[in-house]
Amino acid sequence: MLNVLMLGVGQCGNRILDAINKESFGGGGASRLAKYCMRPKFPSRVETLAVNTAVNDLKELRFTTAKDRLHVPNLHGVGANRNVGKQAFMDNRDMIMGEIEKRGDFDVAFVITSTSGGTGSSFSPLLINELKRQYPRITVITVAVLPFREEGSIYLQNAAFSMRELMEVDAEGIILADNQYMKRYSGDIASAYDKINNMIAQRLLFLIESLDSEMLSVTDLGDFKTVMNGGLRIGTMGFYQADGKNPSVKDAIENSLKPGNLLYPANVSEDAARAMIIIQGSREHLDVDQITKEVEKLSASAGHVFKGIVIKKGYPKVLSVFTMASAPELESIYAQAARGMQDEKEKRSRSRKQLDDAFAHIEDLEEIY
Amino acid sequence: MQASKLGKNTPINPSDLQDDVICKRRWSGLRRLTYLTIFVLLIQAFYFGAVYAKETKETNDNQVTYTDFTLNIGDRIDIGDYQVELIDIQSLKDGIALMQVSKVGGALDEQRAFLENHANNLEGGSENNGITITVTDIPDDQSAKVRIEYQEGLGTPRRHASERPVAPPDKPILSVQESFDRNQMNVGDEVKVTIAVKNIGTGQALDIKAEDTPPLPEFSYIAGYPPKIKETLDPGESDSAVYLMSAVKEGSIRVPAIQVSYTDAKKNARSNNSEPFNVLINPKSKANLAIELTSPGPIPLGGKGVMNVSLSNMGTATATRIELAGEIRPPEGLEVTGLDRSFFEILPEKRVNYSAVLSGKSPGNYTVRLKASFDGGDGAMIQEGTTEVVVLEQEYKYQYLLLIIPIIVIIAWMYRRYKEYKY
Ligand SMILES: Nc1nc2c(ncn2[C@@H]2O[C@H](COP(=O)(O)OP(=O)(O)OP(=O)(O)O)[C@@H](O)[C@H]2O)c(=O)[nH]1
Ligand SMILES: [Mg+2]
Repeated sequence: MLNVLMLGVGQCGNRILDAINKESFGGGGASRLAKYCMRPKFPSRVETLAVNTAVNDLKELRFTTAKDRLHVPNLHGVGANRNVGKQAFMDNRDMIMGEIEKRGDFDVAFVITSTSGGTGSSFSPLLINELKRQYPRITVITVAVLPFREEGSIYLQNAAFSMRELMEVDAEGIILADNQYMKRYSGDIASAYDKINNMIAQRLLFLIESLDSEMLSVTDLGDFKTVMNGGLRIGTMGFYQADGKNPSVKDAIENSLKPGNLLYPANVSEDAARAMIIIQGSREHLDVDQITKEVEKLSASAGHVFKGIVIKKGYPKVLSVFTMASAPELESIYAQAARGMQDEKEKRSRSRKQLDDAFAHIEDLEEIY
Repeated sequence: MQASKLGKNTPINPSDLQDDVICKRRWSGLRRLTYLTIFVLLIQAFYFGAVYAKETKETNDNQVTYTDFTLNIGDRIDIGDYQVELIDIQSLKDGIALMQVSKVGGALDEQRAFLENHANNLEGGSENNGITITVTDIPDDQSAKVRIEYQEGLGTPRRHASERPVAPPDKPILSVQESFDRNQMNVGDEVKVTIAVKNIGTGQALDIKAEDTPPLPEFSYIAGYPPKIKETLDPGESDSAVYLMSAVKEGSIRVPAIQVSYTDAKKNARSNNSEPFNVLINPKSKANLAIELTSPGPIPLGGKGVMNVSLSNMGTATATRIELAGEIRPPEGLEVTGLDRSFFEILPEKRVNYSAVLSGKSPGNYTVRLKASFDGGDGAMIQEGTTEVVVLEQEYKYQYLLLIIPIIVIIAWMYRRYKEYKY
């Protein structure tokens, strides 16, 4: 039995965490009622903790228990200012770590955060460091959400800096989800968030469940660590659920790797460094030969591929996790961020100069009363 | 016609004349001749009466006239040589008077029966120098009105009162009394009927016959009917007859008079009646048991209840050999002890109470039926009484708890969860 800690930091992290809790009640509308009568059903021992500086963001949550919501007192958020965020974390570090300690020992911790906000993006690297320091044997996976590109230069800049910090910390790897990439799922932002959050929640829980199951073909936490350690140690997840119309496991595997089913725009055949394919379904749908063939095909481009098969009633479901050797999209973000920062800098000096010019008018004058 | 009627009556008369054998013989012998003679005479009388009426009145010497007399028995009329004496009233009913007619010198001396309003000619009648005698009325059995027709030449008729002292006539009178030993009864009751007859008259009553017919349809006659009364009762003597009958039909009944017929010493048929009266026959007296079961009210499951039974005889007869048998429907689930009983008798308007214990074994609605079979005085009778008994499902408070506890638990649980998620 795996002991899993899930930390949702900042508003984005909190809400994805809430989606995970919702999923543990079965997801969908019924979970609204289910939370009043049922216990959340996690595949393993899962502890969740939502951390935020903004109490309003915590209040917004629906499926996370009150004791799993930790408010870090710092007025109302940190206003996207990562420096203020870092200071707030350091000020409250013991309190935060104490809250985690209360939840016992863990084998794996997921730190879920946006990269572009203030709180999440500044807390997470520091928090990961603290976790690694206190629990050296723990596997820490960061789930990082990239912003919509049009959200503004500060968000992009935050994303760029926080990504760098997240890559520098001692975590086992980063799973990326890109809001911009998944924007296509829905017209309005609120439902787009919900959709994205639900996708992330579903995949993470599927992953945990699979790692904790008796598998036909062995994959475990160690394999997962190995996958996450590959390439840039930045990866993402794809998922596909076959239905009655096409229960083919071969097609399901291929579909799970298609760009449309990924959380982050990547080209598996070109970018993948290591991969893990986890297949779930009833035995009659799982043709081992076909699976093996598919995995071999993937191995040709992606280096090492782990496969895990879980026998469970239903049509095939496939989760693919892979790390990338290259991340072109990320590079474009940095470029965009840098440009933005440059523009900002220039604008600032320009306006500074204008101001200085204005001040020049009164340079030699004294106030007269 | 008239002659033949008289002739018809004559056969009764010879016995009246038993003391005079000669006359009797003469009567017998002359019967036919007499008919003829009377017939011819009557026609003549009509004829001459019509044709010579004026002439008769004008001839003063032998003008016919008449005189009316009222004679008591023993009185005599003398006219010329004729003597007419009223001997007896033979029949008041039929209008027959017996008279002695005689003529000085012995040419005529006989007793004759005179039919009322029939002319009797002696020696040719008044037209032929004889006389004509007619009994015009018989007001009682002691006297008769007599008309004598005669030619004025015969002189004036005279009445001679009887030389014999007028003996009080020997006249029997029967008082008849019929009585029931009760004037109200029930169908099936026996009644004793007494018929008492007493001779309160002065003469002997003979040939007494009590006519108690026809039988009354409302009764069946058990013994002593028809009643027998002595045939002869001397003055002052009495007799009675008793018979038994039983009432068979209800209603108010007029008991008609009993006619007692008899004759006096002179063979005069007489009769007396009793007074009619009313009796009332009520419907048959029967026992009638009313059974009243008092339900003990809802019995808790596994609990007991007491059911009261009351038997009251609402009828008019005693109920005897009373057997009570209880029955419960449905037969399973409710047990009863002490419901089946028996009693010797319950008098009219009396009541008997007892109680039985019911124990509820399974919930439901039960019908308790008590059947009483008894002898109601008119054969076997059956009466029933029922009541409903409810055995409750469960104690109510537990039922409430069963409902409330889960609701409280659910509410508590949900409230706890709500608190858990409330931030
Ligand atoms: N996928 C997803 N992204 C979100 C969600 N909410 C916010 N974001 C993204 O997160 C970024 C903003 O970061 P937040 O998490 O809101 O900021 P924070 O960590 O709370 O920091 P401060 O609010 O500045 O204190 C933006 O790029 C949003 O697009 C969400 O529910 N789902
Ligand atoms: Mg926020």
